Amino acid sequence: MKGNNENIYLPYPARIVRIVEENNQIKTFSLTFTDPLRNESFEYSPGQFMMVSIPNYGEAPISIASSPSRPGSLEVSVRKAGALTTAMHAMNEGEILALRGPYGKPFPMKSLEGRDLLFVAGGIGLAPLRSVINFCLDKKKDFGSITLLYGSRSPEDVAFQSDIKCWQEEESMECLLTVDTTGPGWLGNIGVVTTLLGRITPNFARTSALVCGPSLMIRFVLAELSRMGFSDENIITTLERHMKCGVGICRHCYMDNTLVCVDGPVFSLAQLRIMQDTELC
Amino acid sequence: MNDHYILKKDHLNSLLRRLMKEYRLVAPTKNPHGDTLFSIIDSIEQAHIDLASQPQGSIKPFLFPQQEVLFDYEHSATIDYHFEHTPDSIPTAFFGVRSCDLSAVLYMDVIFSQKKRDPYYFEKRNEAIIISLACNEPFANCFCNATKTGPFLEYGFDLQLTDLNDRFMVETGRAKGCEIVKRFQHFFEPVEERDSKAQYQAFLEARSHFKQQVHVEQAIKRLAREPIPEEIWESLSLRCQDCGGCAYLCPTCTCFTITDLATSASSGRRIRSWDACTFSGFTRMAGGHNPINSRTHSIKQRFLHKLKYDVQEHGRPSCVGCGRCVGICFGGVDIIRFINKACGQN
Repeated sequence: MKGNNENIYLPYPARIVRIVEENNQIKTFSLTFTDPLRNESFEYSPGQFMMVSIPNYGEAPISIASSPSRPGSLEVSVRKAGALTTAMHAMNEGEILALRGPYGKPFPMKSLEGRDLLFVAGGIGLAPLRSVINFCLDKKKDFGSITLLYGSRSPEDVAFQSDIKCWQEEESMECLLTVDTTGPGWLGNIGVVTTLLGRITPNFARTSALVCGPSLMIRFVLAELSRMGFSDENIITTLERHMKCGVGICRHCYMDNTLVCVDGPVFSLAQLRIMQDTELC
Repeated sequence: MNDHYILKKDHLNSLLRRLMKEYRLVAPTKNPHGDTLFSIIDSIEQAHIDLASQPQGSIKPFLFPQQEVLFDYEHSATIDYHFEHTPDSIPTAFFGVRSCDLSAVLYMDVIFSQKKRDPYYFEKRNEAIIISLACNEPFANCFCNATKTGPFLEYGFDLQLTDLNDRFMVETGRAKGCEIVKRFQHFFEPVEERDSKAQYQAFLEARSHFKQQVHVEQAIKRLAREPIPEEIWESLSLRCQDCGGCAYLCPTCTCFTITDLATSASSGRRIRSWDACTFSGFTRMAGGHNPINSRTHSIKQRFLHKLKYDVQEHGRPSCVGCGRCVGICFGGVDIIRFINKACGQN
């Protein structure tokens, strides 16, 4: 591979070492750069994203689902949505795609230290939060208790099941699952993810909430967390946007005067209110 | 302090011919259809260099082309990708660039380096020499006096020329301009007092000849202070035909998209093309969801980016007052219309 470290648009080839089918629409790809030196020097933080591409199919921003506390491979979870992600779903282990990044502002892990963490996720939105959850579980002494509220459309849509199984065995972590519509064998909650918020009693002073999912879900969860008593600074979400450059030049991800790729994708509700985001708050 | 010289008009073509030996020369030329456009000059004799009309486009396409190859890729037999970028950096002398268009280049210098350095822009920019021409006679839609990007500039050019009838006053700006004067010094004569006076007179007259009175400062202040009524956005967006002409002609519009062009199942090119925030698909994501869902929002983004967000970020607007969007928009959704509405005039 011929690479130019200074060319921000040139991606680096990465091999798919493992594919996990999370549900019939989501797959998790474990990737390693074909250049061993790049694997060694690659660093990222929970909440950042990669520009993933397959030549001839284009490029898209995908959040990193793995935790930097578990080095070895980089994981991205991808829902089949457009041409690129459909092509990714047709790929096999051993095949090569291309990566550049990491990009974006990560979750404020340092300022979350010592705090209880409430994660609220819907569908593929668990992917970036999975990075944070595993990071915190690997550094248990730095963080307080962890609660995950996870909503899926139906029992067969519940993704990241092997992760959830591990998390359920963790003493410091509580997982509550819900589905919009029930199905055979489902013993968990039924209803949208906000219905789970009524079942928890967080200590607002020492808890931060991290939220990710479809925009409509984010909107309702932010409003409900706010109503419950969380301060705007302690409600943090991460946004999905159309992006082309990933580095703050092409402007596809604008939200008024901010660019999600460089000013985000992680934002607190306090920041979203300043930005007067009409979709989310 | 800029140095000043005199270049006799009789010597202009000889100087340009000398420059053409080392640089690709780009200047406004009148084509057989009567349009004045910046184009590459192969022969001074045959090209009709036109310094009397406003060029229809700026020099943006030469530094940030409407379409350019970011790299070629190929899926090789070793089952690896190969990405190759072939630099495209022809040393180019831009002649006859108006103050507004040069100001736009100075803005692009910031945009393409502030967050990350864009190698494609700078491989062209670093090889460019810009010889600007101060505007003695503003064109019909010009308002660079209000955006403070003309009609004469004090910095940013390599050389700035002022037309003094039979001669040009030449000012050196950046190092490359000084270099040209030094290397071709036999073309340049010392300035006399009457030349300085004539230049100042030209400057004063130019300032009094603007046909448009555009209250840019007032609009900027209002935008910083309060939101613009929704009816204004609605009336403007109703008339926008989503053609992108304003963004394409605008010397400071730099939004782009990136697409892959397959040349075979295992090879192709990744291409960057101009895009426009006013296009309805600009923010649409895979799967169809669009977080910017109303038509008024994209018009809002276009004008607020230029007159509010860039003022917040860079301390000055990114409209350079060239007036091209006034001429191109058949719906009348141009920046003068917006500024007038924002200032409460119709």
